[in-house]
Amino acid sequence: MLKIQFDTFTLSNGLTVILHPDRSSPLVAVDLWYHVGSKDESPGRTGFAHLFEHLMFMGSRNAPYPAFDAIMESWGGHNNGTTSNDRTNYYEIGPRNLLETFLWLEADRLATLPDVITEEELEKQRKVVLNERRQSYENRPYGRAELAISEAMYRPEHPYHWPTIGSQADIEAATVADVRAFFDRYYRPSNASLVVAGDFDLATGRALVERYFGWLPQREPPPRAARPLAPHLAEDIDMTLTDRVQLPRLRLAWHAPALFAPDDADLDLAAHILGGGKSSRLYRALVFDRRIAQDVFAYQGSQILSSLFQAGATAKPGYDLDEIGAAVDAELTRFAAAGPTEPELERARNTHLADFYKGLDHLQTRADLLNHYQYLLGDPDGVARDLERYRHATRESVRAAFARTLAGKRLALRTIPEPVAA
Amino acid sequence: MIESPALMETAPVVGPLPTVVPPVAARSALANGLDVVLVQRQVAPIVSAALMIRSGGGVDAPSKAGLASLTAEMLDEGAGARDALGIADELERLGADLWLGSGRDGSQLSLQAPRETFAAALDIAADVLIRPRLSDGDWERVLHDRRTACVQRRDQPEAVVGVVSDRVLFGDDHPYGRPTEGLEQTIAHLTLDDVRGFHSGYWRPNHASLVVAGDFDEAQLRERLDAVFAEWKAAPVPVAPTPPPWPPRPRLVIVDRPGASQSVVRLVAPGTNRLSVDRSGLAMLNAILGGSFTSRLNFNLREKNGFTYGASSSFAFLHHPGSFAVRSAVFAESTAPAVREMLSELSGLRERPASAEEHAKARATLLMRVAESLSTTGGIAATFGEIGLYDLPLDEPLRFAAALERTTADDLRTLAARYIDPDAASIVIVGDRAVIEPGLRELGLPAAVAYDADGERLP
Repeated sequence: MLKIQFDTFTLSNGLTVILHPDRSSPLVAVDLWYHVGSKDESPGRTGFAHLFEHLMFMGSRNAPYPAFDAIMESWGGHNNGTTSNDRTNYYEIGPRNLLETFLWLEADRLATLPDVITEEELEKQRKVVLNERRQSYENRPYGRAELAISEAMYRPEHPYHWPTIGSQADIEAATVADVRAFFDRYYRPSNASLVVAGDFDLATGRALVERYFGWLPQREPPPRAARPLAPHLAEDIDMTLTDRVQLPRLRLAWHAPALFAPDDADLDLAAHILGGGKSSRLYRALVFDRRIAQDVFAYQGSQILSSLFQAGATAKPGYDLDEIGAAVDAELTRFAAAGPTEPELERARNTHLADFYKGLDHLQTRADLLNHYQYLLGDPDGVARDLERYRHATRESVRAAFARTLAGKRLALRTIPEPVAA
Repeated sequence: MIESPALMETAPVVGPLPTVVPPVAARSALANGLDVVLVQRQVAPIVSAALMIRSGGGVDAPSKAGLASLTAEMLDEGAGARDALGIADELERLGADLWLGSGRDGSQLSLQAPRETFAAALDIAADVLIRPRLSDGDWERVLHDRRTACVQRRDQPEAVVGVVSDRVLFGDDHPYGRPTEGLEQTIAHLTLDDVRGFHSGYWRPNHASLVVAGDFDEAQLRERLDAVFAEWKAAPVPVAPTPPPWPPRPRLVIVDRPGASQSVVRLVAPGTNRLSVDRSGLAMLNAILGGSFTSRLNFNLREKNGFTYGASSSFAFLHHPGSFAVRSAVFAESTAPAVREMLSELSGLRERPASAEEHAKARATLLMRVAESLSTTGGIAATFGEIGLYDLPLDEPLRFAAALERTTADDLRTLAARYIDPDAASIVIVGDRAVIEPGLRELGLPAAVAYDADGERLP
């Protein structure tokens, strides 16, 4: 059984630390997760966790802007951050001689960011984020549907109702006071976990982490607003959007169990069997045999509070979404009734395991995976527990999980070509 | 405010950069002439292989653009004893990824599989390579899918700007002037006989190289390679015609996208080829201009002005001289100022090629990029795949590192004067013409020439 070797400890201020030495190349990766995402925002202040991630690069007391990027890039290091509904991560990758610098930079911004942030910096990153919104959604084919899904599936008070990128109006309304309050609430050592991976020895790694993070004061983990999880869709919903596309696309979505809840891994396998690659049922039926679709998809979008199972297809020229919808429904209904064949299940399981191994090749992916397990399971040693779920899946468990999901209410979202001005 | 201890007040001392130590690579040749490179790496239990054919879309006649790439795509649509779905099913059972495709200069078969199933997956890869069925029914389906993909590409502004830029820069008669995937019009001319001809012409062991990287037993692997490739026969490969020189090109090109909230902008100008002695120096110059987050372009357009989510530049070092390109996607209303800043950064690079800090940064950035690509199995396969494709020496990563060390500030100045010319760049924009053109005219640019999304000049 595959294991990722690591050592873990908690600093007295509550920061969880995970060290993963790997001397196979002269590189190090630092990966810091803050347990805050767009789910922790409030209506009217959406997009804030992500906007904040951008501000984390705007300088800290001892590394004023643009030192964060400038110092590490001067030695060939690079970095980024990502925000999801559930968490925010920051990572640096570079030569081993940058390890101490990476830790110093991360610790300094955790300690001092709100002291130095200015209105001007907020204004600049606001523009960058609005451009990111245009580039990733507004000016991208079918991007409007991606923004619409969560708003349709979750009621306004649900933390997944708004997309992580936020609304333009909310991004425009954010103030420096909001930034400081957000930082104060969520950016605490006790609300974070730090993975250091790569070319160092355990003793050095531990000493450096203690040196740069150990002095930060202890604070309780942030209080979480107890938001009631609103009921799911009360009825089936049909929606149609127009977009600047030539081919219509159908997207179906159901509520599904949360990440690591029962059925989650079975639904992953079901999604692969239905829509993953040339071997999948939807591909065979709609693309290969009937040639009515250009592409098909199915996936279990696993998240902490609850997941969405999505499936759909893009019509080939000359075919409409009624025909596509009927063909997709027929495949899904058949699968819910009879489940996968044994060879289908074996293929899906083997593909999942192989993809997992392939992911382990990359240092930062391993670092991120350790943080993922730490956050979800409270223990970085999650590989075995994670993969067992897939090994134990049976034809009946996959069928039943899928049938339960399909029995719920669903959203059918159609994207159709925008009328062309004459 | 938290009082921070004294140790936080100064940046830690950074020791010397580690030396780039490439993994040990063993090169040999099979009896049929196939060049084989093996590289061991035991970090994850996987094996990656890259088989490179030394011809790609760059040998397609412009009227038949898409042939190389459709040939690659047809190979796994049935081969040996298995039909298309049979191949897909068996690869999935083995947990293997097989990918076939073409770039400008090469065609490629990539295979990645767990250690335990790699040998079985290699059997299928050999079928695909040597014994493809190339049947009429599969061809009709694949061609239809490709035609639809060509139609869909017109919806994607980032893809459209690439198609149009290449056409503008390379012209109507150069194979690099059409997308490797082809256009709706060019693939309409293709037949299955064209595909058979491309496969039997170019997919030959004497015109190919193979790298296998990862967790394998070397003696066993060599035995397998000898066995599975035994039937693959060498043959003379067609000689591709020499492409025409750079054509004259318009200064400003707009592909109209009414209502677009962003303009996708690309500046293109002639670059140089893969074997050019200037490559390492140009890579450094590019790192300074637009090859990293703190580069001048990104800093100006994103950080200083907030016009964009990102701006970058790149040289495409190809078999024939490729492009130099500056790229960004900007607020529609910021299009003209963004273009002005791009042009001014190009002028700036000629006037101030590199400060000492930028010079050191460019060197470190490129050295560590080499180290990073050599730190994964897939990256090792890609690095040595490129070595095979361009017939480079096996120690190319070290030669590149040494060339970076040798490059002086004077070298960068000379290269900037020779390759970077804001007045020579064509400006290609996919955006809302009515919104952006007045501002562009105010920059003193000539009237825009209109192109369609497939790269055809409109009347």
